[in-house]
Amino acid sequence: MGSSEDDAALVASTVAGDRAAFGVLVERYAGQARRVARAVLGDPDDADDAAQDGFLSALVKLAQYDARRPFGPWLMRIVANAATDRRRRRNVRRAEPLDASLVGGGPRPDAIAVRSELGERLRAALKELPERRRTAVVLFDVEGYSHAEIAGILGIPEGTVRSEVFHARRRLRTLLADWKEEAR
Amino acid sequence: MKDLPSDFRPDPELGAALRSALEPKDDHAAFVARVMARYDQALDRATIPTLDVLASWFRPGIAAAAAALIAGFLIGRAVLTPAPASFDAALAPLEGPGLAALVTAQDPPDASVVFTSLVEQR
Repeated sequence: MGSSEDDAALVASTVAGDRAAFGVLVERYAGQARRVARAVLGDPDDADDAAQDGFLSALVKLAQYDARRPFGPWLMRIVANAATDRRRRRNVRRAEPLDASLVGGGPRPDAIAVRSELGERLRAALKELPERRRTAVVLFDVEGYSHAEIAGILGIPEGTVRSEVFHARRRLRTLLADWKEEAR
Repeated sequence: MKDLPSDFRPDPELGAALRSALEPKDDHAAFVARVMARYDQALDRATIPTLDVLASWFRPGIAAAAAALIAGFLIGRAVLTPAPASFDAALAPLEGPGLAALVTAQDPPDASVVFTSLVEQR
């Protein structure tokens, strides 16, 4: 991620009509935006659509951005909202029961598929968590945002963020530990 | 819930596993190009007033018209209503048979004459 001053300068250039500056911002935050959108939506194609919506929505709102604050949380708030809106519109949230083979008890994976299986399990476990909880844990453990920043992104109190991260981690760490045990 | 010291720091192991699980498979550059392809369209759409924008103007417009109507009614009523009579004017005796009879009579007035003159003053 770029520094706050760097981001602020790119935002100022974009507002002044510099298309390339916006391109640098997209380049810089694309991975993060796509992961956060995927944490909300689950489906990677929907997530990319939402991340794109988020970037374009941010582009037209750039004049409202307060350059004294970090750009990342401001953008992630827009992306997370775009993903939530898309989920509501498409009603993509389905209370799908976990596939038993993903939770455990399935055949022992071979070495090549181990990593991909962990990914599958984690995605399935994330899907089980409430939207706010999975978004909070991804923002904290993957993207490195502070509790206070996540509170700003999700529009909830900091204490609630801490609680959501705690509960999400408890579930995901159990799954991770089980997977490591099986992989031995 | 009790916070552990590690709860205030990202968990690198869990973070790496989640990152790997959520990492998009598609090309990063392709996604950037896809967003940039809609750059002009997004800005154009933002500058052209859409029906939504016009609809958002409609409600304040109706409210302003209603406020102007009420203000006009109140001002008009204030202008057209005659000013109340002064206190002296209200108490001044009026001309009338009752009053004349009371003033010109030689004898003390009958109670009905006094009453009539009072009623006429109102």
